[in-house]
Amino acid sequence: MLSVTPQHFLILSFLLVGIGFLGLLIRRNVLLMLMSLELMLNGINVALLTFSRVGSNLDGGIFVFFIMTVAAAEVAVGLALLVALYKKRNSVLSDDMGLLKN
Amino acid sequence: MTSDALLLLGSILVPAIGSVLFFSGFAKDEGSLKKLGYLVFGFPCLAAVILFFRFDGSAGYNFEVLYDRMGLQELGITFHLGLNGVSSPLFAMAGIVGLGAGLAALHSGAERMHLYLALLALMQAGLMGLFASVDIFFYYLFHEFALIPTFIMIGLWGGRDRRSIALEITIYLTLGALISLGGLVALNILVDAPKFDFPSISAALDQSSLTDSAAFKIYGLLLLGFGILVALFPFHTWAARGYDTAPTSVSMLHAGVLKKFGLYGIIQIASPLLPEAALAWSPWLMWLALGNILLVGMVAVAQTNFKSMISYGSVMHMGYCFLGIGVCSVLGVGSTVMLMCAHGLSVSLMFLLANFVRKRSNTLEMQEIGGLGEKTPLLACFCIAATLATIGLPGFGNFWGEFGIFLSLGESHEHLIFLVLAALGIILSAVFGLRAIAQIFFGQESEELRKHAKESPIADLSRAEIIPASLILVALLFIGLWPASISDRINDEISNRYSHLQLKNTLSKPSCCPVDEDVKSIETPYSTSD
Amino acid sequence: MSMETYLNFSQDNLWGELWPELSLCLGALLVLGFDLFSKSSNAKKRAGSLAIFFQFILLAAHLFDYLLLRHTFDRESFSGMLKHGIHQDVMRSFFLLSSLLVSLLGHRYLETRKLRVGEFHHLTMIATAGLMLLCQTQHFLVFFVALETVALCFYPLVAFDRESPKSLEAGIKYLIFGALSSALLLFGIVLLYGVGSNPEAWGTTLSTVPSSDAFSFSFLYQLLSENPNHLLLRAGVVLIISGIAFKVGAAPFQIWVPDVYHGAPMPITAFLAVSSKSAGFFVLINLVNGPFAGMSEFLLPLLGFVATFTIFFGNLAACSQRNLKRMLGLSGVAHAGYLLVAVMASMLLPGESDRAVWILFFYLFTYLLASFAVFGVMGLARVTDDSEHEFSDYENLAQKKPWAAFVLVVGIGSLAGIPPFAGFIGKLLLFSVAFETKLFLSIVAMVIGVVISIYYYFGWIREICFHPRPVFEDDEAKHDPWKDVGSVGMLKPALFSLVLASIVLGLWQGPIGDAF
Repeated sequence: MLSVTPQHFLILSFLLVGIGFLGLLIRRNVLLMLMSLELMLNGINVALLTFSRVGSNLDGGIFVFFIMTVAAAEVAVGLALLVALYKKRNSVLSDDMGLLKN
Repeated sequence: MTSDALLLLGSILVPAIGSVLFFSGFAKDEGSLKKLGYLVFGFPCLAAVILFFRFDGSAGYNFEVLYDRMGLQELGITFHLGLNGVSSPLFAMAGIVGLGAGLAALHSGAERMHLYLALLALMQAGLMGLFASVDIFFYYLFHEFALIPTFIMIGLWGGRDRRSIALEITIYLTLGALISLGGLVALNILVDAPKFDFPSISAALDQSSLTDSAAFKIYGLLLLGFGILVALFPFHTWAARGYDTAPTSVSMLHAGVLKKFGLYGIIQIASPLLPEAALAWSPWLMWLALGNILLVGMVAVAQTNFKSMISYGSVMHMGYCFLGIGVCSVLGVGSTVMLMCAHGLSVSLMFLLANFVRKRSNTLEMQEIGGLGEKTPLLACFCIAATLATIGLPGFGNFWGEFGIFLSLGESHEHLIFLVLAALGIILSAVFGLRAIAQIFFGQESEELRKHAKESPIADLSRAEIIPASLILVALLFIGLWPASISDRINDEISNRYSHLQLKNTLSKPSCCPVDEDVKSIETPYSTSD
Repeated sequence: MSMETYLNFSQDNLWGELWPELSLCLGALLVLGFDLFSKSSNAKKRAGSLAIFFQFILLAAHLFDYLLLRHTFDRESFSGMLKHGIHQDVMRSFFLLSSLLVSLLGHRYLETRKLRVGEFHHLTMIATAGLMLLCQTQHFLVFFVALETVALCFYPLVAFDRESPKSLEAGIKYLIFGALSSALLLFGIVLLYGVGSNPEAWGTTLSTVPSSDAFSFSFLYQLLSENPNHLLLRAGVVLIISGIAFKVGAAPFQIWVPDVYHGAPMPITAFLAVSSKSAGFFVLINLVNGPFAGMSEFLLPLLGFVATFTIFFGNLAACSQRNLKRMLGLSGVAHAGYLLVAVMASMLLPGESDRAVWILFFYLFTYLLASFAVFGVMGLARVTDDSEHEFSDYENLAQKKPWAAFVLVVGIGSLAGIPPFAGFIGKLLLFSVAFETKLFLSIVAMVIGVVISIYYYFGWIREICFHPRPVFEDDEAKHDPWKDVGSVGMLKPALFSLVLASIVLGLWQGPIGDAF
């Protein structure tokens, strides 16, 4: 069986970030966009932990906690905004958010 | 501070403070508005004329006002006012034209008069400061005082197409100003002088690392920027349309005084500091100046509107000034300064008189007027005098300027072609000037005029109208009949600044003009470097 | 671990240096509590006054502390995570002033639109505290936390008007784009950390190790100057700069600017335009002269391209806008382009880049004066929908309300860079420093940009000052936003002092001039 090297984890993290980024670009549902953002942040978390392990350094791990906190706060704000918007427009699709145009 | 220096400072501050007072509605009714207007526009004129006569031609600057701590020490900017031989007559001209424009505005009956006067006074403050400023940065800054007032005044009180022309004139003025600012900043940075004014920079020039190619590029930038501001061909289109649309006082100040900013900059700053570059660019400059004279002159001939004709004519006369600058000799440049003074007075007089004509005949289309001379002989007199002055008849100041430029062109054989073609320009200006006079004042009275006269009888010049017109005319005659009053001080200053340039010019072959000994024996006001 | 080790660390924790931020947070909680526990609606209005008063006192105390008592020490604290000095103190005063003006503008805005008072001021003050902290960072962890604090406070502020779908939409857009940029930024930080934590494994060299903390700026400075060509490091640097470019509104990350400026409430648009941009630029100039200093040859052409593109895009796009807030947003993008030239010049100045930093400060200060004057007057107009400020709403303002027109014309003139206003001096300084560092292409771009900007700035002045267009009988009656503006209160002297400062600074720079 192949041994799992740090490179594998890094590839995982790049994949997660890439999928999240793609999701952000493609998705029309704002809720799913928020989920993609979370996915990106978690991919970055994985990368941080990998680097932290490789460098035998605890700094990366500490940073992960901060990122998780910030991500949670961001999600809270984002969901609150989304709920308020839904109450007004009755839709969470980004196509229906075309009010701000020239 | 001496009393003269106080006068100098006051001639800038009084219009500025007056502008604030006008804007804040300090003068409520018409009477107090007029009184404040007389004070605000009269004081700079009086101060300028007093300082003109008190000028003693000592080297350096007279009536200096210096304040070091204006900030931006790194760029060497100080608040330094002073008049020298070149700026003193121009300063006086600015004051006189300003008073004329102010009086014209006061009696024009425009609506929202306090705003109009506020903006005009602000422009006037900038114009006085422009010529009084020794520091190069403040010279630029005072010129820019005129930008927003021009925009608003053309837009509110202008003629046809005023909304778009106001924007167009602002864009062109900004473009020219920014390009010349680039040149000035480059000069400041590359020549690391302690202060940003001519004496310091010329002193520091020898130790600086300014290469010839860099000087060439800087001079080119300055020429381009100043050229756009002075309406050098092919950047002249904005000027004529702008003056045509602008209200009378604005046209007077712009065509008469503001345009001289660029010429003054080249004469006082660019050419003396960068002589080799000036000589290198001079062929370009002179050919473009010819474009001004001939091409714009022909456009002026084609005009049927009196004010348009004057506007194009004023752009045309700038060509002569550029020719004089391009020659790069004391005679040429000195005559250009004389022409600048005289032209400022004559063109503003023409705009003023055009306004008087319009008030009487309700139109500026020359073919629709006729026989006005019978009803308004005094106005006809003034108009004929102004037109003859513009053409360059002896007796008025323009003659000495143009004659001197032609003399300087004739001094070297490579400039002969310019001499011949420029002389053709005189014919053009005679054509359109005299034709205008003939169509407006002589001949048969036209139908429209007769109809208009029935509704409102045409009167000759009133006292309120005679005063500004005669003021400017007297100044023109003063220069014309006693040119030495300004040419002496201009000569001293220019030969001082252009001493190294003149040396270079005498190395070129002399032309078909009389040999040196004959020239020296003639006692003219333009004795060069004797 | 024994007490001695902890003692070593804690001696470096100079909480006293952070007294402005801490007191601001305390004040924020105070305002929120006051609003929460007060019963009558009158007291709610007093919460706003309390916030304004508090910030004013704090600003005065801070200026007093650092100008008169001269309590500015050049030192690092918190184990090298924060840096204190004159630049940081200037930026802190700047943010306090900006926040005070936002609260002032917001006070009136909230009243007319009947929005919640306490939360607005609370969020503004917390955001300001975050901005002030952001200026002092020397460590990417503090950098990230402060940046996210600011961003998270801005998201609800942009969406503050809950009844307006435009405001909410702007909030969501800002959140999505902002979170994306944070993620990019974070990825860049992580790449740098990754290579830094184990340099040999990634093919980089590192000679001396000042500290083994791969997030700190000093460590990264060492790493990056020794390995300027390493692919992962370059990628990390580019990602971090992209994240900051988003905050600042530089192309190609400026897509959010017109939409968010359009939808956000007027005081928040001003807050975004001034504070967010200034913080981004200060951080950028610290980064490119700090840890990324070794990569100048790589960064310079990149920044040059971005700056030129930004200037052209911002100015050209602003010309075509009908809505004034969008136009101001895009003109802000153009100003970001000009400021990028200052950042580039700071990289090229030999020795100390101090002069370019002071020029950046001066330009941002003139931008603050002009922007708040403009947004202040815009906030007075009673348009039916706050987002829709058209040119025609300002028609003939010079006759309807001369003082407002005067303030607006001075503000617009200063933004356009017309003498004799302060904005011109800012541009003059930019010109001179760009000439000194031979950034000729950027100068050409700046000149073209300023000339293009005349079109839309003076187009607005045209609407304000010139005669109104003729009204035909069959036209529907247009709602005049200036008819019942009501009492303006504290705003009028504030606006006039901004205008006075703009004019005075345009002519006399006085003691500030020595710094350049």
